[in-house]
Amino acid sequence: MFSLKSHALMRMISVSVFVLLSSVIVPAQDDPDPNSPTPILLSENDSTRALAAPVGKSRRLSRTSSRVFWPNQKIQMFATNIDLLDGEAANAFRVYIQDAKGREYRFPVLDIRPSDLQKNVFEIVVALTDDLRYWAEPPVDGDVLVRLTWRGLTSNRVRLALGAMGGSIKDDPDAKPTPLSAVNAMAESTGSKEDEGPTSEAVGYRWSGDRARFLEQATFGASPMEDYRVRRIGVRSWLADQFSQPYPSSANPYPNIPLMSVNTETAPPLGCGPQPVPNTPTYQACIRDHYQMYQVQKWFFKEAFYGTPQLRHRVTWSLAQIWVIAFPDTQQSSHMIEYHQQLSKNAFGNWRTLMYDITLNPGMGNYLDMMRSTRTSPNENYPREILQLFNIGLFMLNPDGTLQVDGMGNPIPTYDQNTVNNFTKVFTGWRDCRPADLNASCPDAVTGTQDYKDPMSLNTVQHDLTAKTLLTYPGVTNQNIAACTGCNAAQVYTYAYSSLNQALDNIYNHPNVAPFVSKLLIQHLVTSDPTPGYVGRVAAVFNANRTSPTQMQEVVKAILLDPEARGDVKTDPRYGKLREPVQLLTNVLRSFSVSSADLAGQSDGVVNGSVAALGQSVFQAPTVFNYYQPNYTVPGSTILGPEFGIYTTSTSIGRANLFATYAFNGLTLALPDRPNGTRINLAEVQAVSARDATGNQLMDYLDTKMMHGTMSAQMRNAILPAVTAVASSNPTLRAQTAIYLIATSSQYQVQR
Amino acid sequence: MKQDRRDFLKKTGCTLTMTALATQMGHFGLMSAIAQETKDKAEALVPSDYRALVCIFLSGGNDANNTVIPNHNDGTISNYTAYSNARSGQGLAIAQASLAGTSIAVPRMGNLAYGLHPGLGVQVPANNIVNNGIHELWGMGKMAIVCNVGTLVQPTTRTQFLTAGWPKPFQLFSHSDQVSQYQGGRSDTDSYTGWGGRLSDMRTSPDNPTGLIPMVTSISGAQLFTAGQTTLPLAIGTGTLGTVLNPLSPNNTGTAMRTAFNGLRAVDLDHDLQAAASHITDSAMSANAVFQTNPYDPTGFPATNIGNQLRQVARVIKKRTDLSINRQVFFVQLGGFDTHNNQVVGHNNLLVQLSQAMRAFYNEMITQGLEDKVTQFTMSDFSRTMNPAGTGGTVGSDHAWGSHLFVVGGGITASDFYGMNGVNGTPYPHLAFNTGDDADNGTGARGRWIPATSVEQYAATLARWFGLPDANLVNVFPKIGNFANTNLGFMQPPAA
Repeated sequence: MFSLKSHALMRMISVSVFVLLSSVIVPAQDDPDPNSPTPILLSENDSTRALAAPVGKSRRLSRTSSRVFWPNQKIQMFATNIDLLDGEAANAFRVYIQDAKGREYRFPVLDIRPSDLQKNVFEIVVALTDDLRYWAEPPVDGDVLVRLTWRGLTSNRVRLALGAMGGSIKDDPDAKPTPLSAVNAMAESTGSKEDEGPTSEAVGYRWSGDRARFLEQATFGASPMEDYRVRRIGVRSWLADQFSQPYPSSANPYPNIPLMSVNTETAPPLGCGPQPVPNTPTYQACIRDHYQMYQVQKWFFKEAFYGTPQLRHRVTWSLAQIWVIAFPDTQQSSHMIEYHQQLSKNAFGNWRTLMYDITLNPGMGNYLDMMRSTRTSPNENYPREILQLFNIGLFMLNPDGTLQVDGMGNPIPTYDQNTVNNFTKVFTGWRDCRPADLNASCPDAVTGTQDYKDPMSLNTVQHDLTAKTLLTYPGVTNQNIAACTGCNAAQVYTYAYSSLNQALDNIYNHPNVAPFVSKLLIQHLVTSDPTPGYVGRVAAVFNANRTSPTQMQEVVKAILLDPEARGDVKTDPRYGKLREPVQLLTNVLRSFSVSSADLAGQSDGVVNGSVAALGQSVFQAPTVFNYYQPNYTVPGSTILGPEFGIYTTSTSIGRANLFATYAFNGLTLALPDRPNGTRINLAEVQAVSARDATGNQLMDYLDTKMMHGTMSAQMRNAILPAVTAVASSNPTLRAQTAIYLIATSSQYQVQR
Repeated sequence: MKQDRRDFLKKTGCTLTMTALATQMGHFGLMSAIAQETKDKAEALVPSDYRALVCIFLSGGNDANNTVIPNHNDGTISNYTAYSNARSGQGLAIAQASLAGTSIAVPRMGNLAYGLHPGLGVQVPANNIVNNGIHELWGMGKMAIVCNVGTLVQPTTRTQFLTAGWPKPFQLFSHSDQVSQYQGGRSDTDSYTGWGGRLSDMRTSPDNPTGLIPMVTSISGAQLFTAGQTTLPLAIGTGTLGTVLNPLSPNNTGTAMRTAFNGLRAVDLDHDLQAAASHITDSAMSANAVFQTNPYDPTGFPATNIGNQLRQVARVIKKRTDLSINRQVFFVQLGGFDTHNNQVVGHNNLLVQLSQAMRAFYNEMITQGLEDKVTQFTMSDFSRTMNPAGTGGTVGSDHAWGSHLFVVGGGITASDFYGMNGVNGTPYPHLAFNTGDDADNGTGARGRWIPATSVEQYAATLARWFGLPDANLVNVFPKIGNFANTNLGFMQPPAA
């Protein structure tokens, strides 16, 4: 269940296969050990029963003895093998309880403090009150199993008597008593094993598991080249390098798509001329390139497959799933590209600047109707979502992202309809940029089209001039905006932009923004259910850099370098995230040098259909709530897993079928829309497969490449017979079979 | 549930391995345990008939004000003039002459005439116009309209609503929260589960003791409505049943690969996210085995998204005997109702699609001999502001509250308006700003009708017909006790 030694398999010396790929000039940098110790819950001497006592009693470890506890009681348990950061506290820990029926509860950790009685031992104060509230209430009929999780690692599980001693629950198969004496003895005996040599030449070197995990979080998958790069220079230098990379890659600039006339429901397409009967290829290509997302999707996947600035592409993709706009409301690829540029430009910048740029972007203006919201016909759509979805959420949060509650235990709303109405007034009067508007320049305007490239301009007569009352919160900024009485056009202009900035500051300075945004980004990059401790650390960085032009760079760094993100292996049963379809596809393809169908060149990037079938068509989220929502829990459980929102019986089979295509034949080319096709390059894996008729080397190779060495013996045993059922004279089919089985397995579907 | 799955394996000798079965029991034993408890307690008789509820969710917030419209000028109650005055200036009012083809006389309203949106009536022949729409069902006594339904914590008057501290649904007018309250079946807090799922939690053991698929099926992906505490719904697309959950078998890789594919789901279950993913795939593979037999293809459906979804429901219903299932809940969804702009054309397109598909489904149920046994009903995030958003060609409307919902099938009592009475003594709201039923207050009030009837009352009426005993209403609708009347009378009694 737990191990004191860091995973020795992971800590090995580099093999030479990758050395020839070197082209990196950034100096090498040694990263510190990314691994955290694995916490151990202490038990009695001769059983797995927890050392535990009611708070305030039995302060001596040796006196703490078996007893029965009751719901709502506060107790202390004891743990060792913990190494706290400055400021790391109870909210970095979680305690899960499983009862004899298999139901899980989570009990709040109220405090953790070094024991003043015993060195290296911590007292964990726990309230025996379920805070998931999924099941009615915890049982009081016998022992339950308790685990402590911290930084993505789980402790051993120990017994605790709830309401009665004993009962039918069984210890974990390999559970052993963990009294302090035994734990100390174990630590001494394993302390010298850290420098074991490699057991297989296919396995990487020191902390290679962590680096592969890092690339899954920071890029669209560990390509052999990227893997080599980060191994050589370390994650910190790699990050510094990424922050300075131009975006997008020089080989893959944003498509240059001209603005076309905007079609309305009542008018047929104009920009491509009248629709010929029968359709001509030229007309179809015109529609595809301008009035559909084809060009921008294709560009997106090429950048994901081959782009150098992977981190910015990944973070921008996360932002695009928070600040959502989508086809078909976003009608033209040119509109989406302009919008995406605003996101990517600010991805490593300042959040407040992002807020301003997006608010005045015509793509968002159209998607959430601000472009049409006027003093006389105000529209609440954007004002509501900039609060609810993009910045602060519905309820007051603590600095670590947990809900604040009132005296009755109820969450506290952040705003009400009246607040939305007032923000709505602030956001009136802007429209697609028109040179006739006061002070508007609209350099990118094209006659006969709506200007979706320049920021919106203000139609001063349609801006609301009444007083507004905005969000309130402790230390509020700009709660009230005064009316503009007797103002002329120039004064209205100044008033409107000043009001807009005051309103955005009123939002930005809300205490929810840092934890709200931090948690969303952690969920997109690292893990679905981060501890409040992790959220709080990142939020603190967000706040410490509020006025910095590189605020988000610091935030991204904090997310990726946090000890809850780092480490060779994570063992917490709830750590990680289901790979979204885009990541699932790009991760596998990048692992095997994704190429054109004939393997002679690059993929054309025309693969969106594959992920669309799984519920994630890029730039076509069904609603402003994205493809899935951040608070989605798996039915029949309390498991927080946003991406499970699009994982159903139907798409789970769809995911398998994805690799029935890509592991075997790939996408052949099909003119005119798919000029190159896409397939994985199996040369290297096929050579490994050919070397060893037993299939073991193939499994080792794929374990390292796809699962950073975490494949269990059971998983390997399930796959190997299917591999060896294929004749060894067909090493390619063997490799394809193994890749299909790994890529379709739940073990791979979950990134952790 | 545990028993059911084991029986299933024995019966079908299907390709699902015993290890895959173990996966499900291993991790989701918790669910089986619950189902088993329910089973032991409820020794009710297995029903002898078939019944199904089909939830049609109009996603985005359907503008009920333009869906059911006064078509009279009676001076004692909100009439066409009141409607027109509120909307015609901005170009959102439907001309009274256009209501002639969809006019209905409503007993509950003293036989005054109301008009349905013209999109619900007979259409000019075109692609995907395949029948006369649902308006015709009114005259046949097969369509009920439940008026001014919405999320409520408890019955609420305007005065109460405007009183600080009065319990209100949290985050009124926010899509995601109102959807989750509609689907969750409670409005005082967030829900992990939906009322379709909880209905299934309560009724699976007594009603479908040997069912081979879950009671709940979604043709529109994972939805809160379909999730129960022990119910993991089946989600399928609109392809033929034989293909819809059948994994492809590439390149002659043979049975060894399929064995491994299934075997992988039985290991590494100590990780919760992996176990959840494995369990969902298991569920797909078991349904797939049954779907391989007796293909059936109903005709007469429009080739629209909602038409395809309802056609898929009809296919699954046709297999009810093979699936050994007596009670089913379905979820389908039509999106695009968030008509902040361009509503005139957009809303009409949506309602035409809805009407054509619902009518086709009703006709198919006649073909299957189930028109009295299968009930379609609509839900939507909320209605939209009486006062339009914008004006002219792009006019739309914003988020509001109480909405009019359709119930279609032979199981209804009679074609009429149903629901609790509002300020004007009828279930149809009083169409005036800043007074009466309007939740908005002050000169800028835009007409967001406070619902007279709660989602729970609407849903409980449907659930009772489905067979949920009164004693179990509270298990499915935890806040039903806040509402005195739990039967709105639009459905016939449950099966004897």
